[in-house]
Amino acid sequence: MTEAIADTSFLIDWARYSRRDLLWRLFDVVHLPESVLAEIYSEGTLAWIVDGLASRRMALFTETEDVVDLARRIVSLSRALPARGVDLPEAVCLAAGLKFGYVVLTENGGAVMAPSFLNELSPVKVMRALDVLHALAQAGHIGLREEVARYQVETGHRFAKRDLRRLGLE
Amino acid sequence: MEEWIQLLEEAREIRRRGADWHFINSLPPKLRLALTYFVEVGDIYVASRIAGMKVGEFDELRRKAKVPMV
Repeated sequence: MTEAIADTSFLIDWARYSRRDLLWRLFDVVHLPESVLAEIYSEGTLAWIVDGLASRRMALFTETEDVVDLARRIVSLSRALPARGVDLPEAVCLAAGLKFGYVVLTENGGAVMAPSFLNELSPVKVMRALDVLHALAQAGHIGLREEVARYQVETGHRFAKRDLRRLGLE
Repeated sequence: MEEWIQLLEEAREIRRRGADWHFINSLPPKLRLALTYFVEVGDIYVASRIAGMKVGEFDELRRKAKVPMV
């Protein structure tokens, strides 16, 4: 079973994507920390989450003391990252990624680079929306170029040219 | 490491170019500074705390200010 955990920075744009349910092609369950759920404001995003929870595609993740302790340590370690660190909400996702093997879904730059720079987090797999779309394309579910274009139009998200070049899209 | 720094710099430039600075500069200081922080750093959680909002609520403001998530 492939499980992921998502933070707010990923959900706020992904939830606006008309093909957002493609996420279930990659993950059996996406966990949502309670602290993430508390930050959601838009009715559309909340409706999608409620539907996900009701259909058991999503699951509420309650931050336990040991996860929060580990997350605080990650926040502290992340001060060594170039350019930016990690805040507690993203650190909770990274801690859950490390502890339970969940893929971390985030757009937070600090969280994305953390496994590359912090040895302790090297087993954690982090994916941004572009990585998710790329994985869906590799699995044959979508055409990457069309979906990247659709995602940017529908969500207002902008992918860096540097990343698009890496995928042969620029 | 150089590649990561260049990626963060490109993301910052995309946010700067997309932003509606006329709208941002018309806002009360707390909101203006929170959006400026988001443009420069790209950290929506801290920016929302500067604004005194939930992340989702700040995201609505970010969209009005035309600052893209990168």
